[in-house]
Amino acid sequence: MTLWAVILAGAVAAAFAGIMLFSRSLYVSAVCLLVVLLQTGLIFLLRGAALLGFLQVMVYAGAVMVLVVITIMATGGEPHGDFSRFADFSFPRWVAVLGFAIFAAVIASALKLGASSAAVAPADPALAAGFSAALFNSYALATEAVTLLMFLAALAVLPDKEAA
Amino acid sequence: MTSIVWTITGLLFAAGLAMVVLRRQLLAMLLGVELMLAAVNVALVHHAGLFSDAQAMAAVAIVIAIAAAEAVVGLSLILRVLRAGRGVDADGLSELRG
Repeated sequence: MTLWAVILAGAVAAAFAGIMLFSRSLYVSAVCLLVVLLQTGLIFLLRGAALLGFLQVMVYAGAVMVLVVITIMATGGEPHGDFSRFADFSFPRWVAVLGFAIFAAVIASALKLGASSAAVAPADPALAAGFSAALFNSYALATEAVTLLMFLAALAVLPDKEAA
Repeated sequence: MTSIVWTITGLLFAAGLAMVVLRRQLLAMLLGVELMLAAVNVALVHHAGLFSDAQAMAAVAIVIAIAAAEAVVGLSLILRVLRAGRGVDADGLSELRG
């Protein structure tokens, strides 16, 4: 079950990555990236890294994608200049709906079967304990540096006096 | 399972790299970078579970945080470039070409 779920999630992610590459519209690319990130979060969950899967969905699919969509809205979102190297690719909306539906179906089936069988790779308690120990002992300096980086990134979005 | 995960990682990374190289829009290039980071995380998580390597999982968490910060800074730069009237294409940024 886990193998086929990973294959399905990976195939959907690869397909939407291809659509993301060949689509001319930035909106389409953003929606396809959202589907890809959801599928990768699903793979994390299936591989027994549930915390990283939820982190992926919350940080990427939640926060970062909202920023991306707002930026696309601010910039117009339509392609400028010569894009003759790409074919005119019309993106059907039902494909995006299909991607989200597959994500929901795999999640639901994995959670349903997970109660009775090993549909989702079980999280190793020792691995979870080692994960927290590594994050706050071995990588403590890196964790603090990333925190500082997040604060600096927040400063980047502040408007300056000239722009105001 | 390992070969499947590596195939998925390779496909996603190649798509992201192609976006960075081929697309001219700055936003599309940034989305390609995000795609490459997500692809690398897939391989890292798989091997962290395979070898019970907790440090790899910690590295994935840090990569996710750095990618989020990178996206915020990148989007701010793109908006700043747009405000400067240079458009959203990479062709408009030619001052550092030499």
